[in-house]
Amino acid sequence: MLRKLIKHDLIATGRYLLPLYGIMLVLSLVNRILSAIDIYAGYFEIIKILMMFAYGISVVASIIVTFVFMILRFYKNLLTDEGYLMFTLPAKPSQLINSKLLVSLLWNIMSIIVVICSLLILFLTSKRIDLIHSTLDNIFTSLKSEFGTNRTTLIMIELILLVIISIIQQTLLIYVSIAIGHLVNGHKVLASFVAYFAINTILQTVMTAILLIGGYVTDVADININIIDLPQYAIAFSLIVSSIFSTLYYLITNYIFNKKLNLE
Amino acid sequence: MSVVLECRSLTKKFNTITALSDINLTLERGKIIGLLGPNGSGKTTLIKLINGLLKPTSGSIEIAGMAPGVESKKIVSYLPERTYLPDWMKVSQAIQFFSDFYGDFDTERAYDMLKRLNLDPNRRLKSLSKGTKEKVQLILVMSRRADLYCLDEPIGGVDPAARDYILNTIITNYNDNSTIIISTHLIADIEKILDEVIFIKEGNLNLHSSVDAIREKEGKSIDSLFREVFKC
Amino acid sequence: MKGAVNMQWELNTDKPVYLQLMEYIKADIITGVYKPGDKLPSVRELAAQATVNPNTMQRAFAELEREGLVYSNRTTGRFITSDEELINQLKKQYITGIIEDFLEKMEQLGLDLDEIISYVTKISQNNKK
Repeated sequence: MLRKLIKHDLIATGRYLLPLYGIMLVLSLVNRILSAIDIYAGYFEIIKILMMFAYGISVVASIIVTFVFMILRFYKNLLTDEGYLMFTLPAKPSQLINSKLLVSLLWNIMSIIVVICSLLILFLTSKRIDLIHSTLDNIFTSLKSEFGTNRTTLIMIELILLVIISIIQQTLLIYVSIAIGHLVNGHKVLASFVAYFAINTILQTVMTAILLIGGYVTDVADININIIDLPQYAIAFSLIVSSIFSTLYYLITNYIFNKKLNLE
Repeated sequence: MSVVLECRSLTKKFNTITALSDINLTLERGKIIGLLGPNGSGKTTLIKLINGLLKPTSGSIEIAGMAPGVESKKIVSYLPERTYLPDWMKVSQAIQFFSDFYGDFDTERAYDMLKRLNLDPNRRLKSLSKGTKEKVQLILVMSRRADLYCLDEPIGGVDPAARDYILNTIITNYNDNSTIIISTHLIADIEKILDEVIFIKEGNLNLHSSVDAIREKEGKSIDSLFREVFKC
Repeated sequence: MKGAVNMQWELNTDKPVYLQLMEYIKADIITGVYKPGDKLPSVRELAAQATVNPNTMQRAFAELEREGLVYSNRTTGRFITSDEELINQLKKQYITGIIEDFLEKMEQLGLDLDEIISYVTKISQNNKK
């Protein structure tokens, strides 16, 4: 069932997003070609600048539109007329949420990857490949000398996880805000915004409180932390907090869809 | 089991408003049943409860012995009052969608009905008129081999020829293992195809009777009785 | 007296529908639209044609079977009886009924039997022209 939901979500969203990414890739190619042509004329320079500008916009658009579009998809497909179709399918509300979440994650990551690919199309020369290679080498070597090989790998993995969990958390925060807004009788959109800001504020407060308490506790208990370990503690801590809040947002959204659904 | 829907003291409140109050109802298989009442009487609330789109405030509701959930949705086919298919889909994609998600969907029959409408499956739903879109949705819903069909205002706002088509589709898809609930306020048009009627008045069950019993006992049409019962 | 096969089924909703369906089918039998031994369309087909509930049409068929005008063969369907005697009786019943109604109306208009016959003959001859 989940697989079918994902397939359907991919079809419904891909038909808009893939052309968007396609345009961006084409623009990067166009710019690459243009930069290789040597015509020194005024009008040509203008065309080059315009194309570069268009490309820049397409990059920004790809990332932002992907994120916003997936949010709107969640709302439109589940809480407007289409919700009558989705919530009468033989699927649990949790499966509906999972599908939206996974496909959102996929496209958000995909948009970043496609942007990187377009940049590569635009800038990559064999000389630059070498440059990137050596720069990355330098970075990793110095990291490894500071933190040790194992720890560096661990930190890299944790960082990637952190990016993914952050995307998930941000998405779920918006989902739960939309779900809470749905509970209100009029002005659902306004209620969603209020919920979003309220939850964010609570989140910040809780985080600050934890940090303060943590700082106080380590002071009082005279716990010494190695500077070397700090990045890991920080990342691990962020991962745990993100996971907890993501789970909380998920559970609330699921509860609302299960028990408090009321489509217009 | 021969009982396809059972409501026991079913009540639904929205904050202070009671949409349905203490409904006790038993529906058997193999019947076409009219759920009749004015707008806002609670008909749509009952249908949403059957489909799991709302949860009861108190009391119980069971479809073929099951509480509303994933399993009951497999045997209930729902036609809401609104367009619930995404506009961007082609008719063929909508058929594929139903076929993917519902094991009881009969693709061949759906295409058959489409052909009789002379409708090209490659057309996008966006490009269809409102009446045609409604017919497509009806075809999709009736192409499922469900135990319970819930049709919410299937003939409202539709021209007489389309109305005939819709009623004809309902009759030809009837089978004695399934029950069709038709919720409407246009009684004169459909009363000939009904086995039983349910009157819902202000959230209460006012009447549940076979149509023949009403005609024999009261000597009136359902439409006339309705006008009496719901006189403003 | 209207048969249904060549015309629309016009049904009153303040009387039991199955009785009206029976009348229509009987009319078709008497007028020879359905000949003795003919196969009737299926319940669902006729129900769709008449835009009535299949159970209602089923009930009409069952009653016609009870009256002997229709019999069913479980595998092949329903057929009009080959009992021409029965059909003629039914025809006679209808004819009697119509004439009785007619006579009652004519009496209300104050005509005696001779006047009735004279009117009938004259109008019938006019119609033939």
